[in-house]
Amino acid sequence: MTSTTVTASPSRDMIRDPVLLLPLVVAAGLAVGWLGVDEQVAGTRIAADLALSWALAAASLVVLERPRWRRASWLLAATAFALLGADLEWASSHALWTLGFVLEGLWVALLAQLVLTLPEGRSWSRVARIAVVGAYAVTFGGQVVGAFVVPDARDVLPLASHPSVAHTVDRAQELPAVGLALVVFFLVVQRAGVLRGPARRAQGPLLLAAAITALAALVLLGWVIATDARVSTLETIARAVAVIIPAGIVAGITRSRLRRPEASELVVELRTEAATTMRERLARALGDPSLEVAYRLGDGRYVDAAGRPIELPHGADRAVTGVTSGGEEIAVLVHDPALLDEPALVESVRATAGLVLENERLAAEVRSQLTEVRASRGRIVAAADAERRRIERNLHDGAQQRLVTLSVALGLDASRADEAAADVLSRAQDEVEQAIAELRDLARGIHPTLLRDEGLTAAVEALARRAPLPVTVQSNVRDRLPDPVELAAYFVVSEALTNVVKHASATEAAVLLEREPASLRVTVTDDGVGGARIKAESGLAGLHDRLEALDATLSIKCEARQGTTVCAEFPCAS
Amino acid sequence: MLIVDDHQPFRTVARELLESAGYIVAGEAADAEQALAAVAADCPDAVLLDVQLPDRDGFTVATALAAADGPAVVLISSREADDYGRRVAACGARGFIPKSKLSAATFAALLE
Repeated sequence: MTSTTVTASPSRDMIRDPVLLLPLVVAAGLAVGWLGVDEQVAGTRIAADLALSWALAAASLVVLERPRWRRASWLLAATAFALLGADLEWASSHALWTLGFVLEGLWVALLAQLVLTLPEGRSWSRVARIAVVGAYAVTFGGQVVGAFVVPDARDVLPLASHPSVAHTVDRAQELPAVGLALVVFFLVVQRAGVLRGPARRAQGPLLLAAAITALAALVLLGWVIATDARVSTLETIARAVAVIIPAGIVAGITRSRLRRPEASELVVELRTEAATTMRERLARALGDPSLEVAYRLGDGRYVDAAGRPIELPHGADRAVTGVTSGGEEIAVLVHDPALLDEPALVESVRATAGLVLENERLAAEVRSQLTEVRASRGRIVAAADAERRRIERNLHDGAQQRLVTLSVALGLDASRADEAAADVLSRAQDEVEQAIAELRDLARGIHPTLLRDEGLTAAVEALARRAPLPVTVQSNVRDRLPDPVELAAYFVVSEALTNVVKHASATEAAVLLEREPASLRVTVTDDGVGGARIKAESGLAGLHDRLEALDATLSIKCEARQGTTVCAEFPCAS
Repeated sequence: MLIVDDHQPFRTVARELLESAGYIVAGEAADAEQALAAVAADCPDAVLLDVQLPDRDGFTVATALAAADGPAVVLISSREADDYGRRVAACGARGFIPKSKLSAATFAALLE
């Protein structure tokens, strides 16, 4: 998890900031410019060098307002010095000339590292890391080797000066450089396609500048390889094009800053009864579509607006900013880490949203408790069902088995006894059979075996067969439904039929089981007197918790002389 | 014939009942495993088979016996046939007697 420091104060770290380097860059630029004039270097070339190095230094200062971009700030300053260092080739001292020669391409590698590690100083990917290392090897490494072989009178390291060897070294730098420029171009395009929200806003201009610069580098390298000549004009053009990189960095930061007024609009918008959610409004105000709001409950858990539990992210790809009210954390915003670069924006949203988020948190807490109550009711019903099943099983395996054995034994004894004893034994057997029948009805009411074994339709058909009046059953339920739904639907039919028999004075009844793609509807109708609403509800009222736990609805329609219709609907996906 | 039921007192009464009616009870079994073994060993003509057995239910045993062209099967249970729906008719048994209604006469009627 990335922790958040919302108030950024650059003054505290002034000593370690590159800000002190600014006068140095300016002075070095002026010195190098004087060298160039003295050496009669083209004015455009001197101007391009100064423009690029000073633009880099300026960008390194602008970047300071973003704490996470500190590495980039240093890289920008280093690039400015490396660029001016290369111009030591204009010095009359041979040692300085050699130093300038060695530093000649270093600024390009530094720029590549800057682009491929923005914003936090970490390489975007493995390929990006390899590209950066390759850039240093080709530019700096190549020049160090070149210093030993270049056939120039000013070189202080002429170990093996030879024109053809020097040419080979040049080519060995140029060809890999073409490949590296291509890799950088594709990495930049790929990155631009991936970035979203605040990160895209801040880094978009830089990526565009980097892509253009990489393409320009390809053209210039192609020109050098094709014409086999080192043209000073090409170096001037390269520097002039590269100016768009510091310009892109400054443009991105400015663009991010320009969004701030939208945060104050949030104040107005939060008070309107818009149909959008708090999350959507905050996402728009912060310009981060991926924003999530997690409300903190009293017990330390986090939930979304609907009360569903949320796991806060751990890792660098998401950042978490707390929102407090009265010193207590009420919610956290889970967002793109790039928003950390805009602390003032986040802070203004945080201050504005505090009160509304407090209300939303209370609502989320209530929803979460409701969800919990519903889940707990479901568990209670499930536990009761398991218990019912156990009792049914015990009745069947215990008392019922013994009574059945007793009944058969009495029948056997009656067949062997004399007439008077046989009469007594037969009556005893009848009593036992009556007890068995009552026990069986009781067991069925507790948990119907047929429902468990054969499903809803078979169980409801059996209910209809046992009813003392004609009951028709129509059903399109073919497959099995979840246990709690089957059991609740069965009990609805069972209770409704009991009511028909007891209260309706009906001559017939009908049961309809309809399976829809996302629900099950159970309808029981009769042709009785109707109107006995309170009484009729009493048995069904006992099913209230069971139905609520399943989010089911129950409606009873009974008008005088038009019979009663009991209808239950269960949400239940196929 | 063979009596299959996990309740020992019931087996004793059933054996007495059937023997008094002239049937020869070759053996008893307390679960499906024993029942299949006893059928293979004794080759009885008829099996009185309880539906609720500890290891497998009586329908499975009846289906297996019917598939092997085995002895006639009469299912018994302390529940009623209605509690088992279509499975009674589908398992290949000769018939079903609720245990409390078991007598030599009801048994003989199904075997005819």
